[in-house]
Amino acid sequence: MFFQQLINGVSLGAIYSLITIGYSMVYGIMKLMNFAHGDVYMFGAFVSFTLFATYKMNILLAALLGMLVGGLLAAIVEIFAYRRLRNENRAISMITALGAAYIIQNGEEIFWGVELQRFPSVFSSDTIHFLGLAVSTVQLFTLVFSVLLLIAFNMFLNYNKTGKAILCLAQDIPTTSLMGVPINRTISIVYALGGMLGVVGGILYASAYNVITITMGFSGTIAAFTAAVFGGIGNLTGAILGSLILGIVQSMVGAYISTSFRDVVSFSLLILILMVRPRGILGEKTVEKV
Amino acid sequence: MSTKILVNEKGLPETLPANETGYLSNKRTGILIYASLFAVSLFLPVMITNEYILRIIIMVWIYSILALGLNFIVGFTGLLSFGHAAFYGIGSYVTAILMAQYGFNFFPVLAVSWGVTFIFGFLLGLPVVRIRGDYLVLVTLAFGEIFRLVMQGWQSLAGGQMGIVGIPPPSIFGFRIISNFHFYYLGLALTVFTFAVLGFLANSKIGRAMIAIREDELAASAMGINTAFYKLLNFAIGTGFAGIAGSFLAVYLSAIAPSNFTLGESVLMIVMVIVGGMGSLPGSIVGAAVLLFATELFRSVYQYRLLIIGLIMVVVLLWRPQGIMGLEAWQRSKKKRS
Repeated sequence: MFFQQLINGVSLGAIYSLITIGYSMVYGIMKLMNFAHGDVYMFGAFVSFTLFATYKMNILLAALLGMLVGGLLAAIVEIFAYRRLRNENRAISMITALGAAYIIQNGEEIFWGVELQRFPSVFSSDTIHFLGLAVSTVQLFTLVFSVLLLIAFNMFLNYNKTGKAILCLAQDIPTTSLMGVPINRTISIVYALGGMLGVVGGILYASAYNVITITMGFSGTIAAFTAAVFGGIGNLTGAILGSLILGIVQSMVGAYISTSFRDVVSFSLLILILMVRPRGILGEKTVEKV
Repeated sequence: MSTKILVNEKGLPETLPANETGYLSNKRTGILIYASLFAVSLFLPVMITNEYILRIIIMVWIYSILALGLNFIVGFTGLLSFGHAAFYGIGSYVTAILMAQYGFNFFPVLAVSWGVTFIFGFLLGLPVVRIRGDYLVLVTLAFGEIFRLVMQGWQSLAGGQMGIVGIPPPSIFGFRIISNFHFYYLGLALTVFTFAVLGFLANSKIGRAMIAIREDELAASAMGINTAFYKLLNFAIGTGFAGIAGSFLAVYLSAIAPSNFTLGESVLMIVMVIVGGMGSLPGSIVGAAVLLFATELFRSVYQYRLLIIGLIMVVVLLWRPQGIMGLEAWQRSKKKRS
């Protein structure tokens, strides 16, 4: 039972980490709490859902197109709602992010309605028995796929020119700009990448629970935010660690206590962690300058 | 309104302007403007007989009190709180329980719920002042959600999902406040009270200390300001007023439920504060009015309401990043942080 829940938790955590990375990366570079993140990627996930469920398109192709839409939408939101406010107080772009989230939610509502919709299972519902544990193929695939995607993303950041530029931006924007990195374009790419990873997370989440609904957007934002803070916001390794912790805690509480207490327990744990480590588990202590 | 601020080459104000909060900058015109606005609002319900519009204005009063309290926190020490709805809820539940189950009179209960909310604000404030910046957003957000979920689950005290019904109307010396017309004046009185108290505090030594913390916490502590104490005080005062709004809501609706105090409500309050203008108390009332009237105005096109609210938020802030009533000075001083 315990190990079974652990596996469920790790698989949920892997999905969360796809969602959280985009969120945490934007935070690390722009110091912006991107409240539109969840709704942006759910929009992409909805596009994939329609292509897959209604038009019977191949799931991989549908997912790719959904990622494209999600990435584009993220970049569009950045250009219209955040770019001009980059030098203003951060609380202001946070509110325009919320505004963008509302607009996208409304769009989803018009296209897909507010009802819960059944997300057809992408994989066969087989379970693999391994050392007395039942692992469904969905979980296995989710786990493997997430890990591969995270490795690929990490390699992109460390070995690709644009990836390196993103890492530089996270350290210092004016200096990076002096080195000849096109700031605006790179920041748009950051948002687009975050959105694309999120779309994958959204599709996997929807297929793991077999439902898709528009409220998953905002709750996804909150989950990403919680996981990012757990690990230390802006830190990518921390984002993955935080997502795993959040996933495991949620499935443990769901299994042993009650699913309605999932959020209460994970939030309480979060407050406790922040009391002991005010910057999250892997958060670095920054020196304050006068 | 235009206090000229001298700025040195580093972009820092050379001397503190006589009135940092910006409103009432010219005392005589300020008082004149407020007096005339107050007079207009006194006669408003005599002119407006439409119950529906009166109801919206009453809701504007409630949200004005909430936004004013929140602005005192967000605008004066820069702590972003996303859990304001929880304190609104605490005030509401205290009032509902004391009035519906124990039969107390509204006015003493109002004071009690103010006090209880203040104490809860103080207690949550203890970790809050320790946690910096954006982590704070999540802690307050988490507190708000925990509060709502606990109230949902607490059947015996709070009535669980259904909440508490049958809260009696308030009465003062045997006069019962029941109609929208009466509630309008009660709401107006509470809003003016909140505005006056917070305006007074903002211009006092306490308010200046808080503004110093907002502008530069490290410099403020070097000047001998006990930053932790003032942040705690600020948080508790701001949340205390949410208790007053909650009390008013309880007697106005005569029934409350956990669904009145969702995260969406907290977010709406933050939006009101920032659209109205951070650090500007009149701005909070304007923000509350703009958002509530916009929501009601587009009620007929219900399926586009989120689109319209979202557009208002984005367009207003792209046009005036400091908010409708916000001050240029506050915007300029924040620029150096980017």
